[in-house]
Amino acid sequence: MDFSFSKEQVFFREQFTKTLNEIVAPHAATIDQEDAFPHEIFKKIGNLGYYGMRYPQEIGGMGADCTTFTIFAEELASVSISFAAIATMQCLMGTDFLFRFGNRDIKERVLIPAIRGEKIGTIAFTEPDCGSDLGAIKTRAIKKGDVYILKGRKLWITNAEVADFVTVVASVEPAKRINGLAFFLVEKGTPGFYTGQKIEKMSARGSVTGELIFDECTIPASNLLGEEGKGAQYLESILSEIRVMIAGLGIGLAKSAYRSAVMYSKQREAFGRSIGNFQLIQDKIAEMETRIRSAWLLTYYAAWLKDNGKQAKKEAAMAKLYSTETASFVVDQATRIYGSYGIAHEYPVERYFRDARFLLFGGGTSEILKTLIARECLKT
Amino acid sequence: MNILVFIKQVADTEARILIKGDNRSLEIENKYNLNFFDEFAVEEAIRFKGKVKDSKISVCTYGGKKAVEALRTAIAMGADQAYLIDNTDLDTDDPLITAKILAGFAKKEGFDLILCGRQAIDDENGNIGAMVAEFLKIPHVTAITKLDVVDEKKIIVENDIEGGKETKEVQLPALLTTQKGINEPRVPLITGVMKAMKANIPVIDPVTLGLAKESLDRNASKIKILSYETPKGRPPVKIIDGETPEEKVKKLIKLLREEAKVL
Ligand SMILES: Cc1cc2nc3c(=O)[nH]c(=O)nc-3n(C[C@H](O)[C@H](O)[C@H](O)COP(=O)(O)OP(=O)(O)OC[C@H]3O[C@@H](n4cnc5c(N)ncnc54)[C@H](O)[C@@H]3O)c2cc1C
Repeated sequence: MDFSFSKEQVFFREQFTKTLNEIVAPHAATIDQEDAFPHEIFKKIGNLGYYGMRYPQEIGGMGADCTTFTIFAEELASVSISFAAIATMQCLMGTDFLFRFGNRDIKERVLIPAIRGEKIGTIAFTEPDCGSDLGAIKTRAIKKGDVYILKGRKLWITNAEVADFVTVVASVEPAKRINGLAFFLVEKGTPGFYTGQKIEKMSARGSVTGELIFDECTIPASNLLGEEGKGAQYLESILSEIRVMIAGLGIGLAKSAYRSAVMYSKQREAFGRSIGNFQLIQDKIAEMETRIRSAWLLTYYAAWLKDNGKQAKKEAAMAKLYSTETASFVVDQATRIYGSYGIAHEYPVERYFRDARFLLFGGGTSEILKTLIARECLKT
Repeated sequence: MNILVFIKQVADTEARILIKGDNRSLEIENKYNLNFFDEFAVEEAIRFKGKVKDSKISVCTYGGKKAVEALRTAIAMGADQAYLIDNTDLDTDDPLITAKILAGFAKKEGFDLILCGRQAIDDENGNIGAMVAEFLKIPHVTAITKLDVVDEKKIIVENDIEGGKETKEVQLPALLTTQKGINEPRVPLITGVMKAMKANIPVIDPVTLGLAKESLDRNASKIKILSYETPKGRPPVKIIDGETPEEKVKKLIKLLREEAKVL
């Protein structure tokens, strides 16, 4: 058994951390305050090639394994959940189906510029009336000759107001529910494609979230990504990777909150001693560190399974569940250690506290994940 | 052209550093970086390569096995090749020995231009560049802030002097040390990071550079570190009280005269 990262992975983490400290960290608080998409930072990280990291070298990527991608997520989140949401969307959900199913034109015109940070992407399956239950998707895609006509609304869409392109999940055969879904590429400027309201929210601010409206939106049939009816299957095929990635985000955020809390415990004095001397504060520190380490083990174990071609469905779900719940637990404990300062905008722990909530929903809510884990357990 | 860059891995400015019980060695938290001034040297080498075709950049350090990380950083930025001269069992307090080893490497490897940072931010010696140049009997300019290529035999450099700057013409081969302001070191591209991750970095035993082991070990050191001390803690802040601002200012001036003795 060997729990260490490879030299390459260690080096990657080091380089990426330096890059983040230079380009993102100084603006993390401002991104949160202003709740506006950080275009300049987005471009800078894109120009360095990071959005292509999962893709092969021929198209400007680095062919990174799941472990390296998880390191990427972890380090992003320890600096800024807002930017982490943007960057991981661009690396994975926002571009993956273009990479897998896009024709040459789509790859050259949309995917490659996206990898360079010149175009912003996103994915849209959630609707005002459905999130977890994808079978209830109401957005319709109707084929007419060599075009598809899309009709429906999507809500809670990352980057909605700034996206240059979106992978839309729509139903081609509503009666088949989840087996009637298909993926389509829709680009900004397509007639009948509009952005709607922006959602004001407390977490991952700056990763703007909003509504997309498809009103008789007409796209060429060649914008169908993959095959009709296989949407759910396609989504399923990257869900484990998404979950491990989000678990990585949880670890990164939790670690930052934990580090702040430990530092504060040593500095802050009460009753003539630093508060870290009190057993009840020590209890929090021990709990935080133990849970973070457990989440870490589960997450990188799931990544290791994936990298070794092994089934990781249950492990990825457990990693996402445990790591994101741990992040929520840790930010709570950390802000308690900060006392009243824990709710002051001036301290990053307050931002960590708000940001942790973001991790609980995408990639499956805790309830959905538990259902899935239990189902896997009961199978045997 | 062969460009050599000598670099050093140093403790991060935020790393925790403790003096060990013997007062002569340090315990350094595991946070290291490529030396601040060496980043300028690597960047300048890359820019130089861009101006003079068929140039090749080799970076080299004399250090422990861990220093390979700093070499990888240089490759990630754009260096072509890296060499680690392993100092295990030979770690010395005397920069003259380090310079001798680096000069030995330069002779063996061949060079047209050598760049290094003006000083390492850990020991602040600031003399390696000059000493290497002396061993190699080549011209040397310290702390340059600009480098222009005239032709393959000649360059123009600038450095800051009191109240202004100085422009010099230098014959190649030469050794230059880099000062802050010469350039803006680049953030590595992911392709560079990948190249660095995979780079094969030869480890060189210093005795293979034509230098006798006895001339390199601790006993050959003409300089020995006797002890380290931490800086004195700052005296506590004094809050000056008084009824009115005038009264406070009077007290402050009195203290500045009599206690701080700065007036
Ligand atoms: C910041 C942010 C960005 C997002 N970005 C995107 C995006 O870019 N694209 C996109 O498509 N979506 C996006 N989403 C939406 C996200 O994927 C959904 O929130 C998620 O799928 C959950 O759906 P829901 O919020 O509609 O909750 P619902 O599915 O309505 O669930 C409500 C509650 O019921 C529980 N529940 C539901 N079903 C079950 C069940 N079977 N058993 C037990 N409990 C159940 C849930 O766990 C939850 O507690 C984003 C969300 C956020 C917060």
